[in-house]
Order: sequence, then structure tokens, then C-alpha cells
Amino acid sequence: MESEERERVEGGEERARPLMGRGVRTAIIAIGGGAALFVIASLAFDAGIFSDRGEVPMSPDVAQAQMFQPPAETSIPDGPAGDAVRRGQAIFVNTASNAGDFVGNGVACASCHLDSGRRANSAPMWAAWVAYPKYRSKNKQINTMEDRIKGCFTYSMNAQASKSGGPPPAGHAVYKDLETYMHWLATGAPTGANMPGAGYPTLEKTSLGYEPARGQKVFVAKCAACHGADGAGQLDINGRIVFPPLWGPNSFNWGAGMARVNTAAGFIKANMPLGQGSSLTDQQAWDVAAYIDSQERPKDPRQTGSIEENAKANHGGDSYYGKRIDGRLVGVGTP
Amino acid sequence: MESFEPYEEFKPIPLPVLIIAVALALWGVFTLLDNGKAVTVGRAERSDQIADQHANRQNGAELFVSRCATCHQPNGSGVEGAIPPLASSPFLKASPEVAMHILLNGIDGPIRVGDATFEGHMPSFASVLSDADIVRLVTHVRGTFADRHDLLTEGDVATARLLAGRRGAWQGGQEIAARLDASLGPQPPMSSATQAAIDPIAQKLVSQGNGQTWACASCHGMRGQGSASVPRLAGLPAAYIAKQLGDYVTGKRRNETMQLVARTLKPQDMRRIGDYYSVMRAPSNARASLGGDLVRGERLVLDGDWARGLPSCVSCHGPSTFGVAPSFPALSAQHPEYTAAQLTAWVSGTRDNSTGRLMNGIAARLNDADRRAVADYLATLPPVPAPATRGRTNGK
Ligand code: HEC
Ligand code: HEC
Ligand code: HEC
Ligand code: HEC
Ligand code: HEC
Repeated sequence: MESEERERVEGGEERARPLMGRGVRTAIIAIGGGAALFVIASLAFDAGIFSDRGEVPMSPDVAQAQMFQPPAETSIPDGPAGDAVRRGQAIFVNTASNAGDFVGNGVACASCHLDSGRRANSAPMWAAWVAYPKYRSKNKQINTMEDRIKGCFTYSMNAQASKSGGPPPAGHAVYKDLETYMHWLATGAPTGANMPGAGYPTLEKTSLGYEPARGQKVFVAKCAACHGADGAGQLDINGRIVFPPLWGPNSFNWGAGMARVNTAAGFIKANMPLGQGSSLTDQQAWDVAAYIDSQERPKDPRQTGSIEENAKANHGGDSYYGKRIDGRLVGVGTP
Repeated sequence: MESFEPYEEFKPIPLPVLIIAVALALWGVFTLLDNGKAVTVGRAERSDQIADQHANRQNGAELFVSRCATCHQPNGSGVEGAIPPLASSPFLKASPEVAMHILLNGIDGPIRVGDATFEGHMPSFASVLSDADIVRLVTHVRGTFADRHDLLTEGDVATARLLAGRRGAWQGGQEIAARLDASLGPQPPMSSATQAAIDPIAQKLVSQGNGQTWACASCHGMRGQGSASVPRLAGLPAAYIAKQLGDYVTGKRRNETMQLVARTLKPQDMRRIGDYYSVMRAPSNARASLGGDLVRGERLVLDGDWARGLPSCVSCHGPSTFGVAPSFPALSAQHPEYTAAQLTAWVSGTRDNSTGRLMNGIAARLNDADRRAVADYLATLPPVPAPATRGRTNGK
């Protein structure tokens, strides 16, 4: 009895039931083989045999990759032409230091034209360059590139509050340098073409319409961590603006394109929150744009008479300018 | 009880299994060879890169782009109202020792450059640049921006470095003019800034613990510098530190050690400790050590890679990655092992606590080589010159 017990323990089940042997053997080979295959396959995957993970970006931005690609920064030529490109780029990203006489707020060209004016769907400069001169309904005439840039200084950069009190005068070197930069960005772009990724995308209206109160909730959840609960932006330890202001005295003024709800909604949908473009629903983008564009900001430099007159002359469509929200007249400007 | 053993009898292995087995063997040999090759190549590349880092081959212009331009700008213009220009700066026109002492110690307090006064924090580079680097940088910036070409030697830097450790940052332009070079002309005096008093309760928790758990300093170091996979805490925003401690307790951020520690802290302790570390200044003890490609790291940190939807790290973590209180921590001078581990943690899900889940998408767009590259580059940046008083308000 004792030895039988021991043998059963040591010899295993097969000894007692010999016919099981074949099946178990096959099973072991199959399982072992399967496991080995799995291990080897995953090793091979790791070694990059199936996919070259070392080089392929993990989530390529397919939409962006299909757009026109401006030249790399490292390919700016040497010599005077290259110097002008670099000056233009410096103005574009650090406008207050390099064109400080004409900047009256805390934003830079690159705050609204992302990645130094390269990013598709944030009104990239390569697309703008080939589209001008063109007719604009804002001033009802053919506009040159200089006119267009002057517009962004006047309204988006709030030049009225700058040291010089206005945009750079006609023919100023600031225009020349910016245009040289844009021209270089558009290297290889077809002239006169309507390029995909130009301007900001146009958002379809939603059935709910837009509403600042709903937008405030979106703002608190999705924007305030960067742009500040009061929309005034945030500074680093040296007092330098890292997150630009969205309203208030240091923001773009009432004449700016971004002050129109539809324009802002398109920009926000494609580009904000930073690094999470296209993550908001259309409804959220419209609502948060409405919230931002119903806040007070520097006055419209075109206003000569009353706000009502200016509203009639220059503001229609999707703008809160001249309207009343809870009894407050919108558009009076910031101190 | 000898019994007949049927399974020792010859029985052909089924054909499909045989085929699989042979295929497996071939695969195995092939993969081993291939893997072995990759590992050897990888090792060689890695030691090359480490050698490169030791004998830093960056010239003055490259050092300027990677260490200074994010603040002073590539063309030396500075940033209106925040960072003084280097172009035509009297501090560069003065003797080369002035620039050297500024790089070694940094500056707090008001200084006058051109017709503007600045009141910012120039970081000290003493813990992240070698004597030779400092000579190359001083020569480059003075030559480029001030047309001055007299030379500094590595010996001068080595001597000055001995003193640098003993004094803190220069206290405003007046002190620099008085101590280093009278030709700098009138400079503003240091305003009587009130240094934040050290909170004794926080200090006790940090250095001795609370009886239930270890002292923070036993892992994070007496000066909050950390080491390897224990993070540097010195200079992180107070609210950020308090939030992380809270997140360890709730499990939004998972780490067993820190969960044990954090559970013993009361919410008010967390805030106190946050305040304590946020104003702490300590030299960097981090070194690039993952064999990452520093040039690639520099491009990702400073420019991002928009082709895959990746904004630059500085667009959220601030210039020089010194952080933006309260939500965005400083990354500079952090240990690369820790940084790379966190970037992996967002992908694997053990960390899921960033504001607005902002880091999830960022981390997902970095591959292993990118992670090592950014982590190593960040370790070459100077530590935050944590201001004694936090919370500057917005507006001009
Ligand atoms: C506050 C945001 C803002 C800032 C700052 C800003 N812009 Fe613009 N910019 C816009 C908007 C809005 C448009 C119109 C885009 C549209 O409607 O699609 C625009 C359009 C343009 C266009 C024409 C683009 C096209 O495709 O037609 C150019 C060129 C331009 N901006 C240049 C500049 C320059 C140069 C600066 C800096 C001096 C600047 N912008 C600053 C918001 C801004
Ligand atoms: C992670 C930080 C972050 C978040 C979150 C974020 N933004 Fe931005 N935003 C930025 C930065 C940075 C810029 C400037 C772009 C640059 O410099 O690259 C910017 C620019 C803008 C601009 C144009 C510049 C200006 O000052 O007017 C608008 C409008 C804007 N954001 C709106 C929003 C809205 C609305 C949300 C929420 C849905 C949001 N942002 C969320 C970081 C952020
Ligand atoms: C994080 C931003 C930052 C970085 C990076 C930085 N600086 Fe500074 N620097 C400053 C600030 C701010 C001041 C003014 C300090 C003050 O107001 O007390 C300054 C002042 C200076 C000054 C004296 C004033 C002047 O304009 O001449 C020199 C020289 C200088 N820095 C050189 C450098 C060099 C060289 C580097 C690179 C090794 C560098 N800085 C990196 C922010 C920075
Ligand atoms: C036993 C060693 C140890 C002790 C003691 C310790 N820590 Fe930690 N701490 C760590 C490690 C390891 C990590 C990294 C954890 C991770 O990967 O999430 C960490 C992370 C942290 C972080 C997150 C930092 C960041 O940059 O996000 C904070 C904050 C922190 N510790 C604070 C403290 C405080 C406060 C104490 C004392 C009350 C303390 N630690 C005690 C080991 C320790
Ligand atoms: C869109 C904004 C944004 C960008 C861009 C960004 N970060 Fe972050 N990052 C954050 C936020 C917010 C946190 C704070 C997380 C928290 O609260 O727990 C953070 C935290 C981190 C941490 C953890 C620090 C610590 O001490 O534990 C690391 C590491 C980090 N980021 C690395 C990077 C790197 C590298 C890049 C560039 C490739 C980058 N980040 C770009 C928003 C951003």
C-alpha cells in the first residue's frame, strides 16, 4: 500500500491511466508551441520587425500631414535674405519686443497663428501669402498683404494702446520683414490657389444656437487652467506671458476678427485646448466662443460716435458688440 | 509494480505540429541574431552619446540656442517687460568676469538695461555648465551682442566657481555694479523684499517626519533635490505639490511608497509642505543618463512636433520649463529616470491626474526614444530660481 501511494505521487497520472499519454503529449507540444510562438512574436514586435516603432510617430496628425508643408526652420538661408526671414520670424513670435512700438496688448502674432504661423487651420502664413492681394468685405476694397497685416496690428494687437498709438506706417520695415518671412514659408506653394488648411475652419451653426452661460461652464472646465479664471492669461516667474489673455485690457480689441463669435468658434474648435484640437464638440466651441466674445475688451478703434452707430456701421452677424447682456451694454471698452 | 509505458513507444509527431516546431526554431534563431545585433548597435551608440555629453562638443552659438535663447531670444532682443536684452547690454560690454559671475550665480532683483528696468530671476547655471562651457558662452554672447572679444580662461571660471557656491544670486544691478564693475553706471538698489519665513511645522515634517512615516528628506534629500527615480521637489509650485500628495491618497496617481507617506499627512500639512518646497533653491544634481538624443530632446522641448500634433513643452511648462503656477510644474533639473518614468506612467495609466488630462495626449505622442531624449535634455537645464515670494499677478 505504502509503495503504491508513493508511486502514484511520483509517477503521475499517466502511469495509472496510460491512454491519456498521447493526448497530453500533443497538448503540451501545442501549448508549448503556442507559448513559444507568442514569445517569439512579441520579441520580434519589440525588435521592430513588424513595425518600425522607433521612427513612426505614435499618433500622427493625419489631417495636418496632408497639408502643405512649409520649409524647416533649419533651411533658412544664410546672408541678407535669410536675415530678413529671421527678423520676420522674430517679430511674428515675439511681437512686443521686435515691433514693440506698435503693440498695445499681451498677445503675439503666433498666439493666434500657431506654430509660428505654420499650423494649418490656424490661418497659416504660407496660405495667406499666396492669397493676397484680395478683396475683403471688411473694408470693401482690394487689400495687399501689407493692408492685411496692418489690420492685425490695428485690431488683434490693439495698436491704439501702443507707444506709437497706431499700426506701423506704410512701407515700414516691420511689414517688409514679416512679408519676407511669409514668402519664405510659402516656398513651393502654388500662387493664387485656395489651399487646404487656409484661414480658420468654418463651423456649421448648431440647432441649439450659442449661449455665453453654457460657454462659461466649458470655459471653467477646459480653458481656465491655462488662460486663468479671469481670462487674463498667466505669467511665468519673470512676468512673461505664457498663456495669452482672452479678454480684458491686455487682449485683442473689439475690431478684431477673433471678437466675432463665428471666427473664434472656428479657431477654438481646431486649436484649443492647446494640444487637444478638435476635442470639443461644435456646440462647446460655439458656446465658449460666445462666452469669451461677450466679455469686455479694448474699444473698437473705428468707433468715432456712439457704440450704436459703430455697431450699425461695422458689426453685424455673430457679434455681441452694441448688444445688451443682462442690461450691460457690450462694447464700451476696457479702461 | 513495473508497468508498460506506452508514451515511450515511437509515435510520429503530427505533421502540422512538426512544421510549426521547425518554423519556430528558424524564427527563434533569426530573432536572436537580429536582436543581438540591435542590442550591440544600441549599446555602442549609447556609449558614444554619453562620451559626447562628457566632452560637451556644443560650441558657444549652440549652447546659446539650447540654454539662453528661450528667454533672451535668438536675436538677443529679450522679452518686453520681462527679460532684458543682451544686444548692446552694458553687462556684456563690461569685463568678461561680469557675464561669468552672472552665469554662475544668477540675478534676483531689479537691474537696468538700456532704458528699461527689469525685476526678474536670471537662473544660476553653475550646477549645469562646465568651466569650458561657460568660457564658450561668455565669449559667444559678448562677441555677438556687444562686440567685445577679450578672453576668459577656464582657470578664471574655476576660481570664481569656488566663491559662487557660497553666495546666492546677485541682489539686483546695484550690487553687481558695486562688487564687479563700477563702469556699469547707476543701477537700481534691491528693494527690501521680505524673504518668506521658514515654516517650522513643515520643516519638521520634511526633516524628521511625523512619527508615522519616514521624513521626506530621507528620500527626497535635505535640499529637495531628489535622485534617480525619486523626484526633485525644490522649486515646484506649492499648489502642484499639495495636489500630487492628495492624488496619491485618492489613487488618481499610483505609487505605493508615496501613497503610504501621503496617507499620514493632513490636508493642511500638504499645503505647508508645498509652500516649503516651492521657495526652496538648490543646485541641480540631475545628469543626462538615459543615452537620449539631446538635440532631438531640445527640439521637442522648445518647438514641439506639430506634424504629430505635439505642442512644445515650453508652451505649457513655461520658458526654460520653469513651470507656471499653480498647475504646471517645473521640469528643468529633474532626474531623467523620473521624468521618463512619468511619461510612461501616463501611457500605461498609472498616472491619470493632469489638469484637463492635458499630459495624456502629450505622452501618447512620444515614443521611447523621444522620452529618453526629452528627459535627458531637461536634466541639462538649470534649476528654477524659485522666487521667495510666489504668485505675481497678471496684467502690465
Ligand atoms: C487675436 C488673434 C490674432 C492675432 C494676435 C493676430 N491675428 Fe492675424 N488673423 C486673425 C484672424 C481672426 C484672422 C482671420 C482669419 C480668418 O478669418 O480665417 C487673421 C488673419 C491674418 C492674415 C490673413 C490670413 C488669410 O489666410 O487670409 C494675416 C496675413 C495675418 N492675420 C497676419 C498677422 C500678423 C502678422 C500678426 C501679428 C502682427 C497677426 N496676424 C496677429 C487673428 C489674429
Ligand atoms: C494647455 C493650455 C491651454 C488651454 C487648456 C487652452 N488654451 Fe487657448 N491658448 C493657449 C496658448 C499657449 C495660446 C497661444 C498659442 C501659442 O502661443 O502657441 C492660446 C491661444 C488662444 C487664443 C488666441 C489668442 C488670444 O489670446 O486670444 C484663444 C482665443 C484661445 N486660446 C481660446 C481658448 C479656449 C476657448 C480654450 C478652452 C476651450 C482654451 N483656449 C484652452 C493655451 C491653452
Ligand atoms: C529663464 C529665463 C532666462 C534664461 C534661460 C537665461 N536668462 Fe539671463 N536673464 C534673465 C532675466 C529675467 C534677467 C534679469 C534678472 C533680473 O531682473 O534680476 C537676466 C539677465 C541676464 C544678464 C544681465 C542683463 C543683460 O541683459 O545683459 C545677462 C548677461 C544674461 N542674463 C545672460 C544669460 C545667458 C548667457 C544665458 C544662457 C546661458 C541666460 N542669460 C539664460 C532670464 C534668463
Ligand atoms: C521612501 C522614499 C520616499 C519618502 C520617504 C518620500 N517620498 Fe515622495 N516620492 C518618492 C518617490 C519614489 C516618488 C515618485 C513616485 C511616482 O513615481 O509617482 C515620490 C514623489 C513625490 C511627489 C511627486 C513629485 C512630482 O514632481 O510630481 C511629491 C510631491 C512627494 N513625493 C512629496 C513627498 C513628501 C512631502 C514626503 C514627506 C512627507 C515624501 N515625498 C516622502 C519617494 C519618497
Ligand atoms: C498642453 C499643456 C502641456 C504640454 C504641451 C506639456 N505638458 Fe507636461 N504637464 C502638463 C500638466 C497640466 C502637468 C501637471 C500634471 C498634474 O497636475 O499632475 C504636466 C506634468 C508633466 C510632468 C510631471 C512632472 C512631475 O514633476 O511629476 C512631466 C514629466 C511632463 N509634464 C513632461 C512634459 C514634456 C516632456 C512635455 C513636452 C513633450 C510636456 N510635458 C508638455 C501639461 C502639459
